[in-house]
Amino acid sequence: MSLVDVLNVTKEYANGEETIRPLDGVSLSIEEGDYVSLMGASGSGKSTLLNLIAGIDQATSGEINVAGTEITKLSRGKLADWRAAHIGYVFQTHNLIPVLTAYENVELPLLLLPMSAAERRKRVEIAMEAVDLTSRASHYPRQMSGGQEQRVGIARAIVANPTVVVADEPTGSLDDETTEQILQLLSRVNDELGMTLLMVTHDADAGKRAKRQIRLERGRLMENGKETTSAHLRTA
Amino acid sequence: MFKFVPYVLKSLWRHRARTLLTVSGTAVALLVFCFIGSVQQGLLALTSDASADRTLIVFQENRFCPQSSRLPQDYGGTIAKMSGVRDVVPIKVFTNNCRASLDAIVFQGMPPEKLTTARDLSLTSGSMGSFAQQDDAALVGADVATRRGLAEGDKFTIGDVSVVVRGVFQSSVAAENNLIYTHLEFLQRARGANDVGTVTQLEVHLADGVDPDHVAKQIDQEFRSGPVATTTRTKGMFQADTLGDLAELIGFVHWLGYACVGLVLSLVATTTVMSVQDRIKEHAVLQTLGLRPLRVFRLVLIESVVLSTLGGILGVVGSVLILSSTGMSVAAEGVTIAFEPSAVLAVQGLIVSLAVGILAGLAPGWHASRTEIVPALRHA
Repeated sequence: MSLVDVLNVTKEYANGEETIRPLDGVSLSIEEGDYVSLMGASGSGKSTLLNLIAGIDQATSGEINVAGTEITKLSRGKLADWRAAHIGYVFQTHNLIPVLTAYENVELPLLLLPMSAAERRKRVEIAMEAVDLTSRASHYPRQMSGGQEQRVGIARAIVANPTVVVADEPTGSLDDETTEQILQLLSRVNDELGMTLLMVTHDADAGKRAKRQIRLERGRLMENGKETTSAHLRTA
Repeated sequence: MFKFVPYVLKSLWRHRARTLLTVSGTAVALLVFCFIGSVQQGLLALTSDASADRTLIVFQENRFCPQSSRLPQDYGGTIAKMSGVRDVVPIKVFTNNCRASLDAIVFQGMPPEKLTTARDLSLTSGSMGSFAQQDDAALVGADVATRRGLAEGDKFTIGDVSVVVRGVFQSSVAAENNLIYTHLEFLQRARGANDVGTVTQLEVHLADGVDPDHVAKQIDQEFRSGPVATTTRTKGMFQADTLGDLAELIGFVHWLGYACVGLVLSLVATTTVMSVQDRIKEHAVLQTLGLRPLRVFRLVLIESVVLSTLGGILGVVGSVLILSSTGMSVAAEGVTIAFEPSAVLAVQGLIVSLAVGILAGLAPGWHASRTEIVPALRHA
C-alpha cells in the first residue's frame, strides 16, 4: 500500500441548479518520500484533490487512504485530530494568524499534540531555523514580507513532522525571486527532511521542480505528458 | 484548553476599541444591575428585619408624613403598662423632605437614655457622654456623615434645625446609618415651636412570645376615644406602608435589572458575532491545522465569557466602591432605604455576567464550529 491512495474519488457540488463535478472517478497513489506537483488549468480540480487528501473537504464518493487511515469515514472531530497528526498545510496566501508572532504561529499545530512545553520550544526552534527565520521569531505577520510570511507558513506546516505536507499554490502570490526561494525551501523539505510533499501549482516551471509532475486535464490525470496507467497513477 | 488563552486574549486586544466598548457597556449595565439589587436588598432588609416584627410603631391615625403625626407623649405611659410591653420609646421625627428623595435628612429625637437601650449603635467617633450632656447634640449615622462630610464637633444646620455633631455611629441596621439622633426635647422645641409633650410616634418594644397584632389592636382600642386616635402596626408593616409607593416603584425597577441583563446579552452577543464574522477564514485555518470543531466552539465561548466577565467584574467592583463610599439612600416620609452593597449581590452580579457570557457565545460559537473549511478559506 502507498502512503496516499486515492481510489475512484468523485467530488460534486451544486452551483445553483447546475452540478459541478471537478473530480470524476480519480485514482492516485503517492509513495512515501515523493515530491509530487499537481498542475492543471483553473477549475481543473487540482486544489479540490489536494483538499480531499488533506482531509479538509469531503469526497462525494470513493476512498482516500493516507498512512493506513481511510479518512473519508472519519467524523469531523476525528478528522481534525488526524489532520493535526498527519497533515502540514501550506496556503497560497500564507494565512498566518495576525495576532500571533511568527514563533507562536509555528507553535500552533504543536499545541494540539500531547507534548511538553520544552519539546514544543525545541521543535519550533528547529523549524524556524530550517526556514532561516530565527531572527524574526518575535515579529508579527504584518511586520514581515510576503516571502517571510510564506516561510513561516512552511515552518508551521513541517513543525509537527507530518506524514504529508500539502501546498496549495505556495508561490502564487510571490514575486520571481521569492518564488525561487520558496521552491528551494520546499525541495529541501523533501530532500533533507524526507517529507512527502504534494504541491498544487499552475506554474509549469514550479511544477518541474517536483520529482513527479502530474496534470489534471478534463478529468484525466497525465504524467510526463501522457495519460498514465502506471501503478502510481490511475484514472477510473 | 488553556494553551489557547493567549490567542483568545490577543484576538480581543486586536479589536481593542470594540472590546473596550463592549466591556465598558457591560460594566455600566452590571453597575446599574447592582444598584437596583442594592436598593431591593435595602428594602428587603428594612421590611424583613427580625426586630421589625417585635416592635410596634404607634402613629396618629390617617397620617403619613411624620410632620403631620402629633401624638400625646403621655400615651407612652399608658402603653407601657399594657401586658407584653417591654419598653416604650417616644420619638419626634423631623425631615427636610417628606417626598421620595435621594438626600433626605431625617432627625429622630428621643430621650438619650433610651437611645442606648433601643438601638444597636457603635460609635466610630465621639461619645455617648458628650451627646447626653449637650441639648443640641446629635449622633450622626455613618452614611449621612459620609454624604454630608460631617465629623465630630461640626455644626450642622438644615431647615432651621441646628445641631452639633457629638458622634458618628455605625448601626447594625443599614437604614439607620442614614439617621441623625438628637435629644427628644431639643427637637420638640426646634424651629421656634413648643411641641413638648407631643411626639411623632411611639416605638413599642414587645416581650418575647407576645402576639404583636393583639397588642397593636389593644393600643388602638385604648386611644380610639382619646384626643388623638392611633394606628399601630409592626415596624416592618409601618415601613412597608410608609414606603408603599416607593416600594412599588422599586418592585417595578427590578425589571430594569432584567433589562440590563438583556442589554449585556445583546451587547456581548453582537460583539462575538462580529468577531466570528471577521474571522471566518481564521477559524477555517485553525481547523485545517487540526482544531476540532468543538474546540473552535470553546474558543468563541471563552472570548464571549471573557468580555462579559471582565465587564461584570468592573461593574460589580465599581458599584460596590460607589455604594460603600457614598452611603447612598432613598427616603420617603421619614423612612430611609439604604443602598446595601453585599457579597451576595456581588456574587450574583458575577454569576449573571458569566451566564450571559456563555449564552451570548453559544450561537456564534456554534456557527464558527460548523463552518465548512474550504469555502471559508476562500472567504476574503
